[in-house]
Amino acid sequence: MNSMNSMISDIKAALSPLETSEPAFRQIAAVVKPDGIHGALAYLKNKGFTQLCILTCIDWIEDSQFELVYILFSWTDGIHIQLRARIDREKPFFTTVTDIFPGARYYEREVHEFFGVEFCGNEDLYKPLFLELWDDIPPLRKDFDPQAYSDSKFPMRENANEFLSMTGGGDDE
Amino acid sequence: MNEVKLFLGPQHPGMHGNYSVHMYVDGDIINKSRPTPGFLHRGFEKLMERRLWMGNLALIPRICVPEPDINEMVYAMGVEALAGIDVPEKAHWIRMLVLELARIAVHTMSLGFIGGPTGMYTATYWAIAQRDLILDLFEELSGARIYHMYIIPGGVRKDLPDGFAGHVLEKMAELETKLPEFGELILKHPVIHARAKDNIMLPAEVVWELGVTGVGMRSATGLANDLRKVKPYARYDEVEFEVPVAVYSDALTRLNLKFREIYQSISIVRQVLEKMPADGPVNVPVSPGNALRWTVPAGMVYAAVESSRGEYGYFIVSDGREKPYRIAVRGASYPQGLLGIEKYLKGYRIDDASLWMDTMGVCSPEIDR
Repeated sequence: MNSMNSMISDIKAALSPLETSEPAFRQIAAVVKPDGIHGALAYLKNKGFTQLCILTCIDWIEDSQFELVYILFSWTDGIHIQLRARIDREKPFFTTVTDIFPGARYYEREVHEFFGVEFCGNEDLYKPLFLELWDDIPPLRKDFDPQAYSDSKFPMRENANEFLSMTGGGDDE
Repeated sequence: MNEVKLFLGPQHPGMHGNYSVHMYVDGDIINKSRPTPGFLHRGFEKLMERRLWMGNLALIPRICVPEPDINEMVYAMGVEALAGIDVPEKAHWIRMLVLELARIAVHTMSLGFIGGPTGMYTATYWAIAQRDLILDLFEELSGARIYHMYIIPGGVRKDLPDGFAGHVLEKMAELETKLPEFGELILKHPVIHARAKDNIMLPAEVVWELGVTGVGMRSATGLANDLRKVKPYARYDEVEFEVPVAVYSDALTRLNLKFREIYQSISIVRQVLEKMPADGPVNVPVSPGNALRWTVPAGMVYAAVESSRGEYGYFIVSDGREKPYRIAVRGASYPQGLLGIEKYLKGYRIDDASLWMDTMGVCSPEIDR
């Protein structure tokens, strides 16, 4: 088992991350530039981080940025790594990582559907996955308001008073 | 060739939850298959961003219906890592007790639900009966049968009720006398052998390609890759248990591993009751004031536990306010339930499709969320 400190110094030397931290027990977080993600994933996979746990995205609407998060796990060392990179929110384009982790294909489709990030090279990207016939902005973006969407899709019916008068209830008797 | 498009699910006796697979079949051989999730999509990740840190406790167990406690555990672990809360010693042990009882319940049920795809419903009835007896224990512990909301950030909600340990031990002894009958009925039954033996293969390279974890990974690779061993949480490093493994992964092997894991969980439950501190606090206050105005320090953390189907985790982002900024759920059945069905279901027969989903451990609520 490699120790956490040697792993962190290896990562610093090989990936030159913008920042690293230890957010929890046996967990490393590294922020890299967007064009460094591919190299970093390939490097980490060779270092034993053979499992992509999740690929997800965070909408930092105040900074006008999306943050892509790749979480890897090494079964030999028992260490989780969060690899993060920020991309422009107005031009949310990124390249697929399915050549390194084939299992990322559906995660990328999910991030595309819920955040609108386009992963070039993922051929299934435009097929709907969870949301059928969706006609609004991607729903996990921070500027999507579920209440407003729900009110516009399912308007309130105003028939309560009619119902009361039909059954003889109400105040008028 | 005369290809027909066939929908399996969301309403089908062999199907687990509201999940659908669109299959293109020739005769009864599947030529192409496409997973169709979303029937159970309730927008949990968006809902969690709109609720208080404490209010989320009522929401998160609903993500995975058969095994809700893992949700509470990963949420609590993540929030504790962000807020720097030290959990009292006794709470760790109670958490392990709850998680292992839940694992026994869900493994028993998933062994029995082999009755759906194979038509042997006796197994299902037996399994549901045994699971209900474990749910009785949960009812005694927390007041609720399915969604307990018992593990909270900072510990567990309440101490064990009087006499609870005795009831657990009685139930474990009773289960141990019943389990050999399960083995006779399910694992040695000619019907199950005809359907599950040398069928629904999962080679080791597919495990690494898809990222399958849990029983699937351990049955194919022969590695004891269990998060309880590799990266122990709670006090799993202080109890002794084995991780059953195999190097040939057909459906029957995976059923066998689940069966053996039940015995290991029973052993862990007994050790927990033995080693648990007799008294002491079971939770610490998470905030000095009102829990409704509780804020969690800004940060990002990933917390993961070993569920009955594999690695289950939450990625939690806080911006230092009263509500989570973002929570992403990593369901253990995501890799095999989506990409696995698309790539590796073809070539099997129609009636094997639901058996495939059953023994690979596909749980639709945690895929859809």
